[in-house]
Amino acid sequence: MARIKVENLSKKFGKVTALDDVSFEIHDNEFFVLFGPAGAGKTTILNCVAGITMPDEGVVSFDDKIMNRVEPAHRNVAMVFENYALYPNMTVYDNMASALRSKLYKNDEQTIREKVYAAAKMMKMEDLLERLPSQLSNGQKQRVAMGRALVRSPNVFLMDEPLAHLDAKLRNSMRTELKEMQSNLGSTCIYVTHDFIEAMSLGDRIAIINKGKIIQIGTGDEIYYMPTNEFVATLMGDPQINLIPAKIKSENTQYELCFPFGDREVTIDMPGDEGVFEKIQELNLCAVDIGIRPQHVLYAFEETEGYFKATIYSYESIGNKSVIIADCGDYQLRMIAPNGLRVQIDGDIYIHPVFEQSILFDFESKDYIVRYNEEAVKALASTQEVV
Amino acid sequence: MAGLTLENVYKRYDNNGKKKKVKNDYAVNDLCLKCEQGEFVALLGPSGCGKTTTLRMIAGLEEITQGNIYIGDVLANNLHPKDRKIGLAFEDYAMYPPLDVYGNVAFNLRARGVAPDEIERRVREIAPLMQIEDLLDKMPVKLSGGQKQRVNIARAIIREPELLLMDEPLSHLDGKARQAMRIEIKRLINKIKCTTVYVTHDQLEAMSLADRIAIINFGVLQQFGTPAEVYDDPVNEFVASFIGEPPMNITETKIIKKNDIFFFSFEGSNLEIEVPKRYYSVVHDGFRCKVGVRPMDVLIGDENSAGTPEEIAVFENLGDERRIGIHVGNMILMLITEDEKRYKSGDVVRLRVRGEKTHLFDIESGERIREKE
Repeated sequence: MARIKVENLSKKFGKVTALDDVSFEIHDNEFFVLFGPAGAGKTTILNCVAGITMPDEGVVSFDDKIMNRVEPAHRNVAMVFENYALYPNMTVYDNMASALRSKLYKNDEQTIREKVYAAAKMMKMEDLLERLPSQLSNGQKQRVAMGRALVRSPNVFLMDEPLAHLDAKLRNSMRTELKEMQSNLGSTCIYVTHDFIEAMSLGDRIAIINKGKIIQIGTGDEIYYMPTNEFVATLMGDPQINLIPAKIKSENTQYELCFPFGDREVTIDMPGDEGVFEKIQELNLCAVDIGIRPQHVLYAFEETEGYFKATIYSYESIGNKSVIIADCGDYQLRMIAPNGLRVQIDGDIYIHPVFEQSILFDFESKDYIVRYNEEAVKALASTQEVV
Repeated sequence: MAGLTLENVYKRYDNNGKKKKVKNDYAVNDLCLKCEQGEFVALLGPSGCGKTTTLRMIAGLEEITQGNIYIGDVLANNLHPKDRKIGLAFEDYAMYPPLDVYGNVAFNLRARGVAPDEIERRVREIAPLMQIEDLLDKMPVKLSGGQKQRVNIARAIIREPELLLMDEPLSHLDGKARQAMRIEIKRLINKIKCTTVYVTHDQLEAMSLADRIAIINFGVLQQFGTPAEVYDDPVNEFVASFIGEPPMNITETKIIKKNDIFFFSFEGSNLEIEVPKRYYSVVHDGFRCKVGVRPMDVLIGDENSAGTPEEIAVFENLGDERRIGIHVGNMILMLITEDEKRYKSGDVVRLRVRGEKTHLFDIESGERIREKE
């Protein structure tokens, strides 16, 4: 258990800037996710917290105690890696007991036994203790690696993409298990991932990282519903959010939305929303990108009032539902459909984006401006308890 | 273009005298498949199930132990691979590194002595289909994984094959590239309408690409049907659990009778779910079987609805959807909802199950138990 504070962390590897002035604070017992694309600097942050990497600048402190000069072994952190790093010649029991037997801890065998069995029970692997790592499946190996971190009851858990090696099905079930165990971990945890589902599911809060910088920190709902810019919006959600470039024209107090669709230009009245209209007036907005999630794009296969005609580019299943991609000239729109439809590729489809659910981004800077139902969304996001 | 027929095909590998005592099982066991002309068929199964062996027998790279393979109306058993008029695309791109993309794509035609201007015409025709026009003068080392696979597929289809065979062509690519490439392949096959056999272990790929899916396990064909058929009407427990993500909830159940109404009951749980009426002809009090239902077909009723109150073990908010896990005995029953309500673990809910979407399976064999007509 520890509060972690990272202030103005910077790190360069040769000419490459890995971290650029990164600051954040993690509460006691919080499950904090570092999320971003490959090469964003997530693992470097983790290594700085662990003490494996020395930052060029900045301070890492646990419970207000500066840790920069403390050896990794004395920080009382436990790390779980993507490649499980088990001792191949030791049984699962010995692997889990190895840290406790080291010079630093030197626990007696009775204590070790109790701790290993407690961790094994939690990880549901009591019957694996006598096996060698070579006799385990990948999912079981990762369980052992986590169990080994668990037995030390560390102040801080650091997990670096622990599920990335597993195939899709196993990853999903392990994630659910991890989520279930979360409240029993009893430690602050930093979890690195590039999978938004893991980030959303596990994180009490999520920090989005790109090119060594923190882009946004917030709860899953805050980031999903109010992404700070288009980059964050496209990261969160699969299939990706749709972005439609549009112009806003004002007539007295009514606003019109003008956007290209196929080979023509469509103009519609903007749905009313006080917050949105206020913002438009305040900033004198005229060019925006409209972000609409795929589940908020409606479709029909016959001509329908208020729907625009487009061509079907593809239709494919993503598991329990399917995605239709429609060609709308300069851009494509993704939408959610049920499995098993008879869809003719290159056939006609009629589309109705639900602008009442959209997010407005600045056309130039691509930053978040405002969204529909902002108040309601904020209320929803705040119902999530923060530990 | 031609159809493809496999008649009672068997394959047994020699064990080369290493372990003579060990009886070798069939890698492919009595496989019958009939692919129509222009059809896209996926061979789907876990690793080691015999799907690649099947593909290699169709290609002529592997001998057939027993049975017949017809390409079109021609018996292909003893045909040389080069005479089978097939195009192949494997997981590994296996390109000629000293040749540029044009040279790689044209290689086959050159080797067969096709006239240079004819080659030129065909390469120019194929390149836009695979979107590799701008890559033609590049060397393979300069290409990304996705681009290499495009070139690889272009090379397979330039021969104008009667049959296109692909073995996990996307498994080398990362998530985003794979999804994009999947769409490209689907559009390509839709355009050239070539009979295609596609090997994969990824049920998503099979579901989104194929007209029909052949699901194989331990060398034995389990089910051959359209994506909708294998998803909604699986023949056994294996198919039911292999197709769909998150997988179908399948658990053992004991049927109990209360006031002439049958209920599913579960060991170690007080959950009781009403048995759909259509199963009344096959169940009786004390009947044991497995019951399966997809996570999308378990619903949360409101506070007043009937059913046993259950405690939520896991609540996952994934943005687009929310997943809820509930302990039933020692398994976790997963359900997916798009409802905006936020729960937390420990909350009590009442479950409702879409009765028409439940499947019963035999405990021993895993075969589907169907209601009697």
